[in-house]
Amino acid sequence: MFMHPKLSAFLTATLLSTVISLPSLAIDFVHEVAPILKAHCSKCHTGEKKKGGLAMNTRAELLKGGENGKAVIPGNSAKSLMIELITSKDDEEWMPSKGDRVPAAEIAILKKWIDSGMQWEPGFSFGETSWEPPLKPRTVSLPPAKKNRNHPIDRLLDANLKTIPARTSDAMFLRRETLDITGLLPTPNALSTFLKDSKPNKRKQVIASLLKDDIAYADHWLTMWNDLLRNDYTGTGFITGGRKKITPWLYKSLRENKPYDQLARELLAPTKESAGFIDGIKWRGTVNASQSKDIQFAQNISQVFLGINMKCASCHDSFIDRWTLEEAYNLAAVYSDTPLELTRCDKPIGKMATAKWLFPELGDIDAAAPKAERLKQLAGLMTHPDNGRFTRTIANRLWHRLMGRGIVHPVDAMHTRPWNEELLDYLATRFAKDNYDIKTFIAFIMASEAYQSQTVVLKEDPGSDYAYAGPVAKRMTAEQFLDTVWQITKSNPTSMTAKIDRSEEKAPPPKAMKAPSQTPTPISAKWIWPAGPTANKASFKKLLTLSSLPPTALTKITCDNAFTMTVNGKTVASSKEWNKPVSCDIAAQLKTGINTIEIEGEMFGGSAGLICQIEFIDGKKKRVVITDKTWLARKPDENWQAAAELHSHGAGPWGAILSSATAAPSKPKQGPQRPIRAALVKNDFLMRSLGRPHRDQVVTTRPAELTTLQAIDLSNGSILADTITRGAKHLAATGKTNTELIRWLYQYALSREPTANEAAILVGIAGTEQTALVIEDVLWPIFMLPEFQIIR
Amino acid sequence: MTLEEQLARRDFLKQLGAASAAALACGGTSAWANTEAIIQPKATADSCILIWLAGGMASPDTFDPKAYLPFEKGLEVKKILSTFPAIDTSVDNIKITQGMENIAKVMDRGTLIRSAQQPDLGHILHSRHQYHWHTGYVPPLTVAAPHIGAWMSRVLGPKNPVMPAFINIGQRLEGVGEKEELKAFTTAGFFGSEFGPMNLPYPEHAVQSVQPPKGMQPGRFSNRYKAYKELIDQNPNRELMSDFQQASMIRAMDNAYRLLSAEEKKAFDLTLEPKESYDKYNTGRFGQGCLLARRLVEEGARFIEVTTEYIPFKHWDTHENGHTTVKRLKEEVDRPIAQLILDLEEKGLLDRTLVIVASEFSRDMMIEGVPGSKAKDQSRAKTEKLGEMKHYGLHRHFTGGTSVAMFGGGVKKGYLYGKTADERPLLAVENPVSVEDLHATIFTAMGISPKTAYDVEKRPFFATKDGTGKPVLDIFA
Repeated sequence: MFMHPKLSAFLTATLLSTVISLPSLAIDFVHEVAPILKAHCSKCHTGEKKKGGLAMNTRAELLKGGENGKAVIPGNSAKSLMIELITSKDDEEWMPSKGDRVPAAEIAILKKWIDSGMQWEPGFSFGETSWEPPLKPRTVSLPPAKKNRNHPIDRLLDANLKTIPARTSDAMFLRRETLDITGLLPTPNALSTFLKDSKPNKRKQVIASLLKDDIAYADHWLTMWNDLLRNDYTGTGFITGGRKKITPWLYKSLRENKPYDQLARELLAPTKESAGFIDGIKWRGTVNASQSKDIQFAQNISQVFLGINMKCASCHDSFIDRWTLEEAYNLAAVYSDTPLELTRCDKPIGKMATAKWLFPELGDIDAAAPKAERLKQLAGLMTHPDNGRFTRTIANRLWHRLMGRGIVHPVDAMHTRPWNEELLDYLATRFAKDNYDIKTFIAFIMASEAYQSQTVVLKEDPGSDYAYAGPVAKRMTAEQFLDTVWQITKSNPTSMTAKIDRSEEKAPPPKAMKAPSQTPTPISAKWIWPAGPTANKASFKKLLTLSSLPPTALTKITCDNAFTMTVNGKTVASSKEWNKPVSCDIAAQLKTGINTIEIEGEMFGGSAGLICQIEFIDGKKKRVVITDKTWLARKPDENWQAAAELHSHGAGPWGAILSSATAAPSKPKQGPQRPIRAALVKNDFLMRSLGRPHRDQVVTTRPAELTTLQAIDLSNGSILADTITRGAKHLAATGKTNTELIRWLYQYALSREPTANEAAILVGIAGTEQTALVIEDVLWPIFMLPEFQIIR
Repeated sequence: MTLEEQLARRDFLKQLGAASAAALACGGTSAWANTEAIIQPKATADSCILIWLAGGMASPDTFDPKAYLPFEKGLEVKKILSTFPAIDTSVDNIKITQGMENIAKVMDRGTLIRSAQQPDLGHILHSRHQYHWHTGYVPPLTVAAPHIGAWMSRVLGPKNPVMPAFINIGQRLEGVGEKEELKAFTTAGFFGSEFGPMNLPYPEHAVQSVQPPKGMQPGRFSNRYKAYKELIDQNPNRELMSDFQQASMIRAMDNAYRLLSAEEKKAFDLTLEPKESYDKYNTGRFGQGCLLARRLVEEGARFIEVTTEYIPFKHWDTHENGHTTVKRLKEEVDRPIAQLILDLEEKGLLDRTLVIVASEFSRDMMIEGVPGSKAKDQSRAKTEKLGEMKHYGLHRHFTGGTSVAMFGGGVKKGYLYGKTADERPLLAVENPVSVEDLHATIFTAMGISPKTAYDVEKRPFFATKDGTGKPVLDIFA
């Protein structure tokens, strides 16, 4: 231990209004002041914490002050807010707000320190200096290329890179990039074609062609967006209608590759189809103030679009960043239908919120305008070209998906410093310049040597000391795992939960191409249901008078969720799967004169609707009978009334369902439906176990490691076991010898040939028998390999 | 300054400065770095069994008898407090109700709390109160809160390394009403699924969870695993063996295989229980669940919940016909609960196993919530006078005074804590215990400070709300 002599002689200095150079030993910052600041202030104002916007890691930060203005005025403790607050008698404002009061003797030292010019130990910082992310986008000038690596991403990364990671093999590249774009594996055929291709730009070509497959892209990326937008088929809230799905809108937006700024605007100032996101979850019963729908709005849009955590600030001024309770409430007020009172930790504080945007530098919101207009203004400000935080946040999320780790990580902590600020700023600016086009951005990252490098081998999950050395391997999501297992074993589910348009049909061909004889009658039928509150069950009736018997009467029909159709008392069609419309010919049941068509419909939950179209020749005239308001409809135990028309065909949550699947029975099918993907079905035990979240909250990352309970489910759970059993039966029927099959499986699952040793191990358990049982025992170990479950 | 001084100064600054910030790094769940160190209490129990009488067990008809009036046509319902007469127990000052004769005999092994209370959450919903009871937090929340079992799993880990630390017996999570709401708290939340429950909805089929898939011979199962291990050993990419993601996957598969082939898995197989003993428990799924819990604790399980199963309007959720339903339920729970206590005692496990019998709230004949609550009356047998048997029972949800029984695990024997009023409203009038304090008590018994916190999104998330739960130290021996 050592002591510093203390001087008492400078008391007079406190009387000086101008700071003069004082002897350095007057107050010992290190031994007298710093311990006081550490004990009483550091918890909320050092490191990354800056409660009330005030940080004091360094002298400069302390001088800068916080939201209430300057905290200290060197040379004038009497006018320094810090002293005022630590000596305050007012419960509401005294500092520190938690913990013991600062003892009088220590206050005296602080006063002395301020009055004597607030000296600081040169270079000393209490913590990693807190960093405030810039708002505006920034144009970054690119460093010179090294070793001819010209891609902007490489130029930016290579500048700080000690060792340039090796390029990944063609096979590993194809596997990674196919999984990243479509969530599926490259087939053995695709792999061998790619390996044989000798064109120098073949990687670029394959990226482009995979991105063109809008259905596969949407099938895969729906998972990330569902996590982010907290959208699901089941979950809390649906039970009382307190939550709405946005699946049809979202899926369509992904298929269309809707520009991200437009996507955000449609989420923030929504139509009925996209309103589910900002409307959040309305919980039953009394809910604490920080989870009202208004506050959920403020929290969710801040997190999703800006990577700002407003959860702290929606209860009290944040400890971890600069956001205050008032700012959270003002943002919530943009959405709120009624005046909103600020509530601190569940206690109203008698102050009303005013609709306000977070960054007044970009403009503000007219608090007096009606809600729809306020949301529109908010959407405009969020996607304002000068809002660099909007573009940085999404650029970072997409980088994380493709490169395995965010440039800011965790990806929602956008108030923390990126490991490469130039790179993030460059990407964000580029993304905006490319019209917020997500696919273009993905292709841009994938075209870099960085993306095409070998993944790094990490001995542990990197912490804040992460340094980029190459892409980080990614664990397959629950959906990817199932999709790829299903892909190899052809055991996809037979029906989907999602009510989406997945039809392959492109825009209708130009008129000249239409051959009159083959022109299908356009679907003019309407979706109908009994008027009033949606009933679970409904009956429909239509009378049809015929002058002659038609040779055929082609009928296309479906109902959300189930129906039975009778003609003159005879059942002609029924189905429980709304997304598989029924086509049938009802001519055999028809008679001349009056015919009665009756349909019993049932809805299992969610939306309800019936649609039906019947075509036939009556006499010489072609007639079309369609569901519309001329049909009678009734709810159980009620009277017949005119049916209510809900939507035209093609609208509503169901898409153009009748045109896609319902060729007349005599005509050939229009091509096989694509296999159903995991993101399009409800969560189940296995997916939940493998990390598909419950989606009560926004989720932006999934766990990277496999856990014991998950491993148990993979080892003996019935869902995977049944899938493998079904798949093995299918593979047994392909006629491959076991050796051929093992080779094919390695090519498919791992994008490589088995080594002689590996083939020998599997042949060892398979023998020469080609039974399904044997194939199950070959499939399971392959699916369990980390090499299969990790995307490298 | 001398060199020595300079060095000392540098060390001192280091202590004050950024060094501690590294511990706060985000990612995964790390313990919250408090400025003051948390002192974990000395555990009085190593295992915990929560017996969950789901749906709202009416205390006046179970553990807290009040004035009893038998069914009589025309009887004014407002006069009814209890629909079962009181019976004596093995403790002089504790009476419980008819139909619980077996539990009455073991009351001298535990503490009865009669003054648990729940907050007024407006319109009463089982799912919200159950969420609150199981996590210590009222939903909705901005982060997914961990179940109390997940806390034990996270803080204490498994007691026997091959036994899952958190086992949940008897509750289906598919095919029942409010399943999504049940799933919302039957989870490790932000801790991640490593600490989540192993769900065993059917005790009779529990062994399937630790066996090879249905129809697979054990030999085939181990051959398959052997092939997997060999493929990993022979993998040409040797450099990946040290990758943390790959290593964790292999470790998890090994752990799973170890359980699936361990001796301990026999604990999951109820057919191995001697018939005489099996019959003592077997009152149905719940009784089998109690037996399974006992077998699992014997093999070193950490936390087990056994439930009568929550199904809206079923079992303890008596919106009508309460008396008859509770009579049946007592036949289902009385024997197995008492037998569990006796068996644990006989095997020398009761002293270190805390058994809790609880429910999300109580019930009352007249009051929904507490007096003055705006909660909507949800009785399905509304009447002023008894007309038929279905009117007879406690059909409203009551949050003002609820019984919780605790046995073993360091709590006092034959002890009564707290008291409710003898006349309506039957509010806790002595030593009220909040959900937070109850959790603090359970955590303390297990050696977990109620102030224990983990880092989520750079905020502390405490074992009890804001770290404020106060253990009821009075009930510890």
